Amino acid sequence: MTTPSRRPSRRDVLIAAATTGAAVAGLLALPGPALAAPYDAAAWRGYARRFLLPEGRVVDTGNKGVSHSEGQGYGMLLAEAADDREAFDRMWGWTQRNLMVRGDGLAAWRWQPDGGVTDRNNASDGDILIAWALLRGAERWKAEAYRTAAAAIVKALAAAVVVEQAGMTLLLPGRDGFRKGDTLVLNPSYWVFPALRAFAALPGAEIWRKVADSGLVLLSKARFGSFQLPADWVALDSGGTPTVAEGFRKQYGYDAVRVPLYLAWDGYRDPYYFRPFAMLAAKYGGTAVPATVSLPGGTTTQVAASVGMLAVYRLASRIAGTGNEVTVPAFGPDEDYYSTTLAHMAALAAQSLGFEP
Amino acid sequence: MTRLAVPLLGVLLSTVSLAPVAFAQSGPGGRALAPGVKVEVAPAPGSGTAPQPGKVDETALRYYARIGDVERLEAEIARLRALDPTWEPPKDLFAPQPTTAGVDESPFWALVSAGKIAEARAAVAEQRRQTPSWQPSANLLKELDLAEAAGRLRGASDTKRWQDVIDAAAAQPEAVACNRLDNAWRLAEAYAELKQTDRAFDTYKTIVSQCPSAKERRDTIFKASRHLSQAQIRELTALGATANPAAGEDYAAVRAAEAEIETGRLLERAGTARPGSLSASDLAQLERTIREKQDSGGALALGWYFQRQKKYAEAQGWFAEANGWSPSDQAAEGLILAYAGLGRKAEARAAAEPWRGKSSRVDQALKSVDPPRGGGGRPAGPQGPSELDQALARRDFAGCLTAIQRAISRSGPTVALVQQRGWCLLELKRPSEAEAAFVEAQALAAREPVRGQGAARNSVRGAAEAEGGMTRAQENAYGQAIARLSTGDTVGLTQDLARLNLTPAQKAEVRASLLSTEAGRALEDKRYHDVLRLLDARKELVPEPRNLGIMRGWALYNLQRVEEAYKLFKSIDDRLSTRESREAVETSWKTIYHDW
Repeated sequence: MTTPSRRPSRRDVLIAAATTGAAVAGLLALPGPALAAPYDAAAWRGYARRFLLPEGRVVDTGNKGVSHSEGQGYGMLLAEAADDREAFDRMWGWTQRNLMVRGDGLAAWRWQPDGGVTDRNNASDGDILIAWALLRGAERWKAEAYRTAAAAIVKALAAAVVVEQAGMTLLLPGRDGFRKGDTLVLNPSYWVFPALRAFAALPGAEIWRKVADSGLVLLSKARFGSFQLPADWVALDSGGTPTVAEGFRKQYGYDAVRVPLYLAWDGYRDPYYFRPFAMLAAKYGGTAVPATVSLPGGTTTQVAASVGMLAVYRLASRIAGTGNEVTVPAFGPDEDYYSTTLAHMAALAAQSLGFEP
Repeated sequence: MTRLAVPLLGVLLSTVSLAPVAFAQSGPGGRALAPGVKVEVAPAPGSGTAPQPGKVDETALRYYARIGDVERLEAEIARLRALDPTWEPPKDLFAPQPTTAGVDESPFWALVSAGKIAEARAAVAEQRRQTPSWQPSANLLKELDLAEAAGRLRGASDTKRWQDVIDAAAAQPEAVACNRLDNAWRLAEAYAELKQTDRAFDTYKTIVSQCPSAKERRDTIFKASRHLSQAQIRELTALGATANPAAGEDYAAVRAAEAEIETGRLLERAGTARPGSLSASDLAQLERTIREKQDSGGALALGWYFQRQKKYAEAQGWFAEANGWSPSDQAAEGLILAYAGLGRKAEARAAAEPWRGKSSRVDQALKSVDPPRGGGGRPAGPQGPSELDQALARRDFAGCLTAIQRAISRSGPTVALVQQRGWCLLELKRPSEAEAAFVEAQALAAREPVRGQGAARNSVRGAAEAEGGMTRAQENAYGQAIARLSTGDTVGLTQDLARLNLTPAQKAEVRASLLSTEAGRALEDKRYHDVLRLLDARKELVPEPRNLGIMRGWALYNLQRVEEAYKLFKSIDDRLSTRESREAVETSWKTIYHDW
């Protein structure tokens, strides 16, 4: 079985692409508005033009043109927010036909242009994002079929990836391969808090409230290094003590940057939960923030945070109240899928909170 | 629990102030916790910071009122009155609080009390999400910050991330204070590990001059001795014995710390160093200290130091001192061997007399006085020490095996020789071979005529009767039992014990050994009640030696009987302070007062 936990993520490829200092410097030198770009129909059209194929597949341009369940979820969320039901349906259709091939109601995590689905494991955040997008679509377009489909995914998730450990109700990153003896391997950024809240409102789905509560506890415990940042991958022993997981890059980075995004989106305001990210941004003047920080050591990469990551830092810094401004440059002409997605998600979150127009 | 939070670190980072400042300390209130009760159980909301005059912080007061903890409530009222004499307790203390401020903090404090800091953080965040206008009290945030900083500091220290220890202390200076002495020690250790010895020294100096407890100062000096030079320890001791004395504290023990540390260092070297490697002045100092303190453990160590160098007269002197201060079979063993080395056999036998047949140690040592002879090759009567004599006097057990081998190849095996081989193998920690030797001796004894060489050697006792009134057969059985003990065959031995041909004293000794082995296993298996039961049973047979006393202490400690454990460790440490006993004292003490 392929160990999904070792999946080469788009983020690795991104590192390779961006390692040249010149590219980073060029990006940062672009004059841009101090405010993040708002998310609107025009933004969605631009996004769809670049990353959405006619058949409904969202392409990860930073990672050899593959698609992820996560990307389908993000695309559906963005289409819903832009009220583009036609695109939403295309993405949902492609997802059902190509990823929901496991037979348990969950999606295979990755689809490759030259082989389709080769690893049938799921990625829990992908399923969560898809189900959340369906719930939002059901609300917006009064479409019960979406809600029914979402409820089925939520139920399948509860059966496959929700586990108890050390008094916490936790989310495995995928159904297979994340239990190492008594120790669980977790990904804090898979707690999509606003989605979990939406799930908990479904009939008989109260367990998702516990998942969310435990997520907050986990994020208070799993803080490492001098910035007290969450690790991308965390090992949690049977006593509930977290460590930076072995077998992964021991770092805070492309995954965990989403932690403050989801917390903010769900209405959390406690500076305690946002300060680590704000402090990291502040230390680097809100511009050349490193993309990753090794944990617990604190070594940073030469690679700078992308536009999308900076958009998240901007949001986190405002909530943390640390007083530092983060400058989010305009997208580069080849801004990749992940950066663009993060930037749009951060804008959506800020707008839903009334922070920005 | 008083938890004044005046930081040490601020002082540490500047120059060391010797001014009699009211630094953080564990007051008597902090000592009043029940045994085993961790400090988290007694949070001190409200005591984290001194409220501004006129703005008395009633958070803690209302919390204690709410949970009905009258004792703490009264203490808090007294504390607030002391801060502001004009303040009066609110009339509505026991009335349900209106929720105008929005939020009752009790649930968060309850989580803090239970040590569930992450859960408290999560609950606060959730509350703030639901009630955006609400701000948690400064006390609550302070308590959470402190608990987390202390946790970070400890975590970094446990995993030897020394810079992180320093960073954590810098980020939350109040986590390093006299009432969090363990954290201060960890900070000093981090500096020392990073070779920032001056900073480490400064930290220790601050502790011994600012923290009032004599005991804490003394412990700090012992801690520091691992990292500082002799000269620095001297300075630290002088400072700790004099700076900012608090009423009711006796700093004599602080003053004595330096000499104790030096003695410990020298004894350690005496125990491990090659003969003669202690300088004359070191030796003189060591001897002086040991005499002053009548430290029998130290005297024994010195005795062996000289015995290894074949300086039997000096060795005899120290073993005699040890035995005089505190008679023991260990001291008698040393005396016997030292006298044997001097060729004064009558005195050796006299030294053995009180222990003969009661201590295997002594019975073995006696063999160097009256060693078994091989094959009758040598006449009885006046004789210089044989090769085997000399080996045994030197405690050279490999030499013992060589000598026996030579004797056997010269004139064949005898019961006595093969038994002696068993004893030497036991000393060499080769118990399986030892057991085989005793079995072989038993077989030989069955073939040997009752009146063998032994009779020629010793006309007073019959041949069938060896030292201490035990027969050959009994000695063989005894040797086998000891060997089986050493191989860990406790279950089988326990079953066979009743049937073995042993003297009552031997049976008691073997049973005592079995019990201590079983107690050790029980400790490993965390069956602490069993440890106590086994040690109690053993204590009825023979006195409890130091190592088992420490084992008993750990069992008590793990049964949450920490006060008892501390007292026991302390009494052991007072008799002879070693690293092991100091760490036991320190750990139990920390648990009682500082482990939060």
